[in-house]
Amino acid sequence: MKRVIINMVLILVTFIIYFLQLNFFSWFTIDGVKPNLFIILVLFIGLFTSKNLGAIYGMVIGIILDLLTAQKIGFNALILGAVGLLAEIFDKNFSKDNKMTIIVIVSITTIIAETTVYILNYVFLNLNIDMFAFIKILLIETMYNIILSIILYPLIQKFGYYIENEYKGNRILTRYF
Amino acid sequence: MYKNKKSGFLGVFITIVILVVIVIFSNNNNGEASFFENAANKIVLPIQNGLTYLKNKVNGNQTFFADVKDLKKQNEELQKQNSELEQSLRELENIKTENEQLKEYLNLSEKYSEYKTIYGYVVNRDISNYFKTIVINVGSNDGVENGMTVIGDEGLVGHVVSVTATTAKVQTIVDTASSVSAIMSTTKDSIVCKGTLDSDSELKAMYIPTDANIIQGDSIETSGIGGVYPKGIHIGTVKKVIPTQNITERYALVQTAVDFGKLTSVLVVTNN
Repeated sequence: MKRVIINMVLILVTFIIYFLQLNFFSWFTIDGVKPNLFIILVLFIGLFTSKNLGAIYGMVIGIILDLLTAQKIGFNALILGAVGLLAEIFDKNFSKDNKMTIIVIVSITTIIAETTVYILNYVFLNLNIDMFAFIKILLIETMYNIILSIILYPLIQKFGYYIENEYKGNRILTRYF
Repeated sequence: MYKNKKSGFLGVFITIVILVVIVIFSNNNNGEASFFENAANKIVLPIQNGLTYLKNKVNGNQTFFADVKDLKKQNEELQKQNSELEQSLRELENIKTENEQLKEYLNLSEKYSEYKTIYGYVVNRDISNYFKTIVINVGSNDGVENGMTVIGDEGLVGHVVSVTATTAKVQTIVDTASSVSAIMSTTKDSIVCKGTLDSDSELKAMYIPTDANIIQGDSIETSGIGGVYPKGIHIGTVKKVIPTQNITERYALVQTAVDFGKLTSVLVVTNN
């Protein structure tokens, strides 16, 4: 029962983030660069729940995004699914209580995900490659994502540990000590 | 993460303030004086005015350098005349280009009347920073098909890449995966306009013939080569020519006629 409610809340959050990304962050930009909230969302779902749930959420959100806006179906699904799996690796190896680790995790995930999307699209859509512009946008976007996750982390942490207790049992302390 | 609740809240608050300041400053580059500049000016100006007044007073008392003063006066007059002449020249140039543009528009409206079009709204945009596709609210129910050309009021927008019953995805010409075969309207040299990553309103005109003469402000239109877009649709104007060491690699930046940041309504051309 608890899990049903948690999932319903997560779906609601996904919708809110979709409209935020589409409307609010299309003008609230740093030098015209938008953040990618979906990477942060899937990353934190993967960090705080089981491995499979992060990947499933990533895939479903990715497919919906592909259907709604992208030119080729499947790239976003693939990448966000991979972000869910990546989150599990980070969860096993790093503490989630440290500000620095969160910054590192968010930046590494953003860079890997966006670079892979760009390369995939380069191969399949024959993009005009533009290295400097890409790196500039990627760095600004990574910075934006870090700032947003710092702002939102207290909230995410509270909700996240609640979910983690439900999915993994209370083993936050036993794992590290 | 936050051991002390109070300091944690403070950290979050400071981060939010920094984010808002970054966003405002990074997007505020339209040449207007910012709030801080105004404030700084308000503090400094009275002192500066006073100093200038003093300086003028001292200068006024010096009758010794009468000659120099005369020369200065003459110089000022000449400079004034020069700037007036320059201004009138600029006005003339403006009128000239305006005349050309009006002629173009006249042609354009005649050309567009030949096409049968479907009117549609932009309902969705790509959420990522790297792609610039848009979604419009007309689909196969309204007669839109894959590959149809999409135009705006001012010029070319892109072409349809996929259709559902009620919506269609349009790849805009500023998308990085887009290449448009085009010609320069005065010299008739053919070029290829490609989308760039870092700008929503600029195209990179490549493969310029080595003997071609590029004129700044020249209008660019589709050539019809390749069969994706029909011939003679206005794309934009040449903004800047970037020379390179090797003349075969030189390219030009083309300002698109359509403002893709503010694009809200489009026309789908149904008879290519």
